[in-house]
Amino acid sequence: MPTLSETQRLLWQLITAPEGVAAALAADADRGGGLTAALRRTVRDHPPLAAAQRVDVYANMYFFRVLDVLKEEYAATHALLGEVAFHNLVTDYLLRHPPAHFSIREAGRHLPEALVGHGAVAAHPCAADLARYERALNDAFDAAAAPVLQPAALAAIPQERWPGLRFALHPSVRLLACGWPVDALRAAVDRGEAAVDPPPAGIQLCVWRQDLTVFHRRLDAEELAALEAIERGASFAEVCLAASAGTPAENAAARLAGALARWLADGWIAEPTPSV
Amino acid sequence: MLAGFPALGTGVGLRPPHYAHVLETWPAIDWFEVISENFLVAGGRPLHVLERVRADYPVVLHGVSLSIGSVDPLDGDYLDRLRALAQRIEPAWISDHLCWTGVGGHTVHDLLPLPYTEEALDHVSERVRRVQDCLGRRIALENVSSYLAYCDSALSEWDFLAAVAERADCAILLDVNNVFVSAFNHGFDPWAYLAAVPTDRVVQFHLAGHSDHGTHLLDTHDHPVRDEVWALYAAAVRRFGAQSTLIEWDDQIPAFDRLHAEARHAAMVAEAACRADPVGDSTAPLAAHHRA
Repeated sequence: MPTLSETQRLLWQLITAPEGVAAALAADADRGGGLTAALRRTVRDHPPLAAAQRVDVYANMYFFRVLDVLKEEYAATHALLGEVAFHNLVTDYLLRHPPAHFSIREAGRHLPEALVGHGAVAAHPCAADLARYERALNDAFDAAAAPVLQPAALAAIPQERWPGLRFALHPSVRLLACGWPVDALRAAVDRGEAAVDPPPAGIQLCVWRQDLTVFHRRLDAEELAALEAIERGASFAEVCLAASAGTPAENAAARLAGALARWLADGWIAEPTPSV
Repeated sequence: MLAGFPALGTGVGLRPPHYAHVLETWPAIDWFEVISENFLVAGGRPLHVLERVRADYPVVLHGVSLSIGSVDPLDGDYLDRLRALAQRIEPAWISDHLCWTGVGGHTVHDLLPLPYTEEALDHVSERVRRVQDCLGRRIALENVSSYLAYCDSALSEWDFLAAVAERADCAILLDVNNVFVSAFNHGFDPWAYLAAVPTDRVVQFHLAGHSDHGTHLLDTHDHPVRDEVWALYAAAVRRFGAQSTLIEWDDQIPAFDRLHAEARHAAMVAEAACRADPVGDSTAPLAAHHRA
């Protein structure tokens, strides 16, 4: 009689077999049939369905449940790749990244990195960037809430303390540098238009949630560099330096002051903790 | 009735397509059930909606990832988050399924049946007690729909369910549709199932629609409740009393009014069943609609 552990490991192996239960058992027959024998000892044949067919009910539900969630979370990536290529991508993906988190919304977390170098990208070189952007939208949706820094609070800080100030980004903020205008592609899909590969064009993006709505905005390279420095925990002086590549630092500081006002208005900067 | 499980009346599952409608119209529904995992997040709209709904309705947290029967260790992070969510929204109770969902650190995001053996009984009962200690409350476990059965099962599903509830001192969420689906798939008598479940452990009913695939029924939650399941539900009310009842509809989700009509029908069936065959002290009064 198989132990509970043996039973669960056998079913896991069969349910997650990439080509389905029947194919897994056929391949096993060539290797001596140990899997088939274990299945016979574990799951009842009960007409009209044999044991393998009964396990296959779960195998199908496993794959299609995850597939459906990924189609929703990566709607534009799915539209761009098309049904068959996306299906095959998810098949490959689940072999490398079987779900390990209690929330099915985490099942697709590694899809963007899995797309890098995947065959599906050959025909759609922007797909990995597009998936990264869609992941950022999903993450911003239910990121933690946090009080945002108010302009009045910032204005009250004496000028001599500014160089040492360390800001923190709101937990929903996601920064991306992409080689294609994937925000426009996703917007087109959201409008019900066809997903068409755009020509390459480098863009920088900030994705964030304000109140309960997720937004995105394009950034220039200087703004992205400044925000990435903040994300790394840099002081304001270091942020100015990071954003001043090729320009006098005082000009960068003036421009950053303008950008900072907008970041505050958009809620990108979290209220500092007392120790900051 | 077990302490900690008040009679809430008839409710529906709160799902994202209905968030706006519920917050705009505050429908006259007795209570809502939510999928716990959808709210074990750091922030954002789902939690905001849940807190607003909870301010005006009783809410039950219904989980799908406890994996109480897995041989993997209990997920401490999951339990910590569930406990924190419970402290935040004060649910009427917490429920999950008598099943396992994964092994080896992975999950199939499905509700897999257990072999009904002494080994599984010991394993599950001990884990339920630990979960209840962690959450500081008794939980309810639901019977799942199943499509396979194990060669080494020595107990019937209903005896296993009753034994777990007794040994772990937990409650039973009786999914009437699941009883019907599994009865068809495994060839047992659903009426015998109901007759064997202990009356003092059942605190809630689930009702849902299923799909007929010819060789088997699938618990798809994408149809109205079938007539045969309504009949089984009436019998369940007669046996267990008018326990809190919940309509689940998770795919091909209709307009809220259609879902609400299904809940009203459940209330009518329960009232008729109670009139036809009152069951004395075990019959809970039907709760009035929460809002006029």
